[in-house]
Amino acid sequence: MIKVLAVLLLASSAFAQIRMVTLPGKGPLVSFRIVFLTGAASDPEGKAGLADLTASMLAQGGTKDLTYKQIVDAMYPMATSVSYQVDKEMTTFSGTTHVDNLDAFYKLFRSMLLEPGWREDDFKRLKDDAINYLRVGLRGNNDEELGKEVLYNVIYEGTPFGHESAGDLSALEKMTIDDVKQFYLDHYTRRDLIVGIAGGYPHAFVAQLTKDFGKLPDTRVSRPRPSQPKPIPHSRALLVDKNTRSVAYSIGFPITVTRKTPGYPELLVVQAYFGQHRISMGRLYQRMRELRGLNYGDYAYIEYFPRGMYQLEPSPNLARQQQIFQIWIRPVEPPTAKFALRLALYELDKLVKQGLSEEEFERSRDFVSKYVTLLTKTKNAQLGYAIDSAYYGIPDYVTYIRSALAKMTREDVNRAIRSHLRSDRLQIVAVTKNAEDLKNRLVSDAPSPMTYNSAKPPEILEEDKIVENWKLNLRPEDVRIIPVDQVFE
Amino acid sequence: MFFKLFLFLPLAAAALASANSQKVFPFDYVQEDLPSGLRLITIPTDYPNIVALFIVVRTGSRNEVEPGHTGFAHLFEHMMFRGTEKFPAEKYTEALARAGAASNAFTTDDFTAYHTTFSKEDLDRLLMMEADRFQNLKYTEPQFKTEALAVLGEYNKSSADPASKLFEALQETAFERHTYRHTTMGFLKDIQDMPNQYDYSLKFFDRYYRPEYTTIIVAGDVQPKNVRGLVDKYWSGWKRGRYQAEIPPEPPQEAPRANHVDWPRPTLPWVVVAYHGPAYTDTAKDSAALDALGDLAFSRNSDLYQKLVIHEQKVDVLRGANEDHVDPSLFAVEARVKKAEDMNYVRGQILETVKTFAATPVAADRLEAMKKRLRYSFSLRLDNSQAIAATAARYVALRGTPETINRIYDIYAQLTPEDIQQMARKYLTENNRTIVTLTGAAAGGAR
Repeated sequence: MIKVLAVLLLASSAFAQIRMVTLPGKGPLVSFRIVFLTGAASDPEGKAGLADLTASMLAQGGTKDLTYKQIVDAMYPMATSVSYQVDKEMTTFSGTTHVDNLDAFYKLFRSMLLEPGWREDDFKRLKDDAINYLRVGLRGNNDEELGKEVLYNVIYEGTPFGHESAGDLSALEKMTIDDVKQFYLDHYTRRDLIVGIAGGYPHAFVAQLTKDFGKLPDTRVSRPRPSQPKPIPHSRALLVDKNTRSVAYSIGFPITVTRKTPGYPELLVVQAYFGQHRISMGRLYQRMRELRGLNYGDYAYIEYFPRGMYQLEPSPNLARQQQIFQIWIRPVEPPTAKFALRLALYELDKLVKQGLSEEEFERSRDFVSKYVTLLTKTKNAQLGYAIDSAYYGIPDYVTYIRSALAKMTREDVNRAIRSHLRSDRLQIVAVTKNAEDLKNRLVSDAPSPMTYNSAKPPEILEEDKIVENWKLNLRPEDVRIIPVDQVFE
Repeated sequence: MFFKLFLFLPLAAAALASANSQKVFPFDYVQEDLPSGLRLITIPTDYPNIVALFIVVRTGSRNEVEPGHTGFAHLFEHMMFRGTEKFPAEKYTEALARAGAASNAFTTDDFTAYHTTFSKEDLDRLLMMEADRFQNLKYTEPQFKTEALAVLGEYNKSSADPASKLFEALQETAFERHTYRHTTMGFLKDIQDMPNQYDYSLKFFDRYYRPEYTTIIVAGDVQPKNVRGLVDKYWSGWKRGRYQAEIPPEPPQEAPRANHVDWPRPTLPWVVVAYHGPAYTDTAKDSAALDALGDLAFSRNSDLYQKLVIHEQKVDVLRGANEDHVDPSLFAVEARVKKAEDMNYVRGQILETVKTFAATPVAADRLEAMKKRLRYSFSLRLDNSQAIAATAARYVALRGTPETINRIYDIYAQLTPEDIQQMARKYLTENNRTIVTLTGAAAGGAR
């Protein structure tokens, strides 16, 4: 059903190839996903945020012939719009239209991507938006997303992945419209393009897409080689000091597993067992929230998953050549902050040392085997996953995972845990008030006993005795504090 | 079925807008009432294999009539995951995990919804497990106390966002007596006191988790007969209750009100201008006309949005909406302002826009474009069984049946420029108005 086509077309000077992913269907909706294999990792030195700002100029600015207002007006009765997403290595433009409006929508969509207007007033507005997203949206209003983004940035410090995709404030302030134009010229090429379409479009539409997007230049762009993040020799913490109510943690370390490497399906089972996103079955969720009421939820990830507080399922087209293993501890009350961290790391250690039992393995495998089909319940999501599979060079995602699961044994999973996961050499990030105080608590080996508002079963109290003394192995020199107003500067 | 509406409809806007055009909620659903008062709505769709189950309890923070118990409907949503004798929480969770089911729940002012999406072969088991917890929920006081802390954790995770404080202040200012005075999350002092309210929680369950408050919606790869058989099998023992909350009506507002929130951290200022609006209705034009007004006056293609966001660039968020509620609620316009010194100007612009809509009928072609937009937007939303069930659930909470969707869209189709003007005059008056502003500790945002 999913076709990944390499369409050959005759361009003015040479034979060029466009990668197409097509998912024809019978429904009345048509979804587009136009993906350029470029992103924040390609931001030039000193211009963090350029890839993002460029994409926003296309998706939320005017074209050569139309102002942004004219585009909004034209799309208004169709109830549609163009959205964009910029990650480290992928930039995606997407839109869904009713087939009634296919031609009208596509004409607008095409001119937005291929004939941008580069107006100064659009640029000023979108630059403001980018700055406000960092300063107000992320730094001000969302401690959890802030912690997650800081975690990625600090792990990848010094590499092309090591800055916020939306940019740095100082770089954004200096950016000009010429920077944006140049980035577009350099990076929006047909070599780096995957064109995706799904739904009830007429067959001939594919040729139209090929012809239109075939006009993009065929330039070969040198991409930054994914350099390995620096090893973490010793567990360390970065505390973001912010006047806030509670303490939000993100913890992680780089892994070498991605969708295209061995070990991925096994780690997917581990993720389900240990901390399936927003689902109560995960071990961390059970031990931290359900049994102890420490917070609202606790999860684990093997792939980048932004906006997790708003989304139950991950967005597609965030494919990366490098991933981290991540634990997300939702905000805890400050007095329990040390205990909560200890408990999460105690559980991680147990996972690494003991692996999954046969029963835990079977349950988690069964879960993943069915759950993957829910990830692609819309045509639009199927298209996104198909594009990611084309990028990674794997078969259809659901088939790929289910066939791997059918052969998988508990030992395979536990071997993957031993090869890829660890409970030492961790990067910890916390968003907290009184960071100095939290630092003093974290570097001390003093016990952090837990008190509850209700009676707990004896086995929990027994376990707490171990947890309250669990070694965090953080030396004072391993804990850094950064005031929140210096993040993303 | 789903596709016939638009595939066989002529393309002209006139046809989309016509009162007698085909149903916007086009599914051949079956709605049945069990003797206990439990309602079952089965919606077969063309999407293979997957089934979405939504259980709607028409109890939300609106029902929290007793002082000191705000946030209780939401707390109860949490408690529903604490298990029964037959399926203690761990066993329930494990069974869901084996089914690969995505399961969650949410609470609003008016209702609480429990939803699970799964493969069709697990339908029998899921309906059995849900019937069990709705009838036989059992939790201990220590479990209750622990769960109350998770609710506090939920409050904590949202507390970094000034918008939650802003709306808390808006509701508290605009309402004096009605329970919409507090948010679904509840007052912090009540949340902190929740661990002490075990006995009240038992009473809450006994009052509201009853068949007459509940509707089961099953959408997807299912047959109504089969679903009915399963519901009869597992749910027919559920006994009807007797409790009805007396929700104090809100007295008419007699003078404009205002409030201000000082946010302790840097952020961008907000201006919210709100009016007491109508309750949701599918038999009169009131709520439909205000829905239309919200879109025409404040959406991305409105004159005001173009002015404040695109040209002058003084505002980066602007929206206006009349939220559907069981009882009369608020029509609210929200603007996030880039510089504090522009707040008065922005407030003035919003008030001016409201005046214009009351003084002059909107252009007919804009209204027609909006009607088209409403229908396309609805059909774009219904692209999988879970979304179909979720949409039905929202309307079932308001009127008990998805048929209300077709009725309200028929009303949208009949709206005239004069209707919108008339409703603006009726509801968007000075005495009916509450303005709430918020400013941060120091100038945030772009310099």
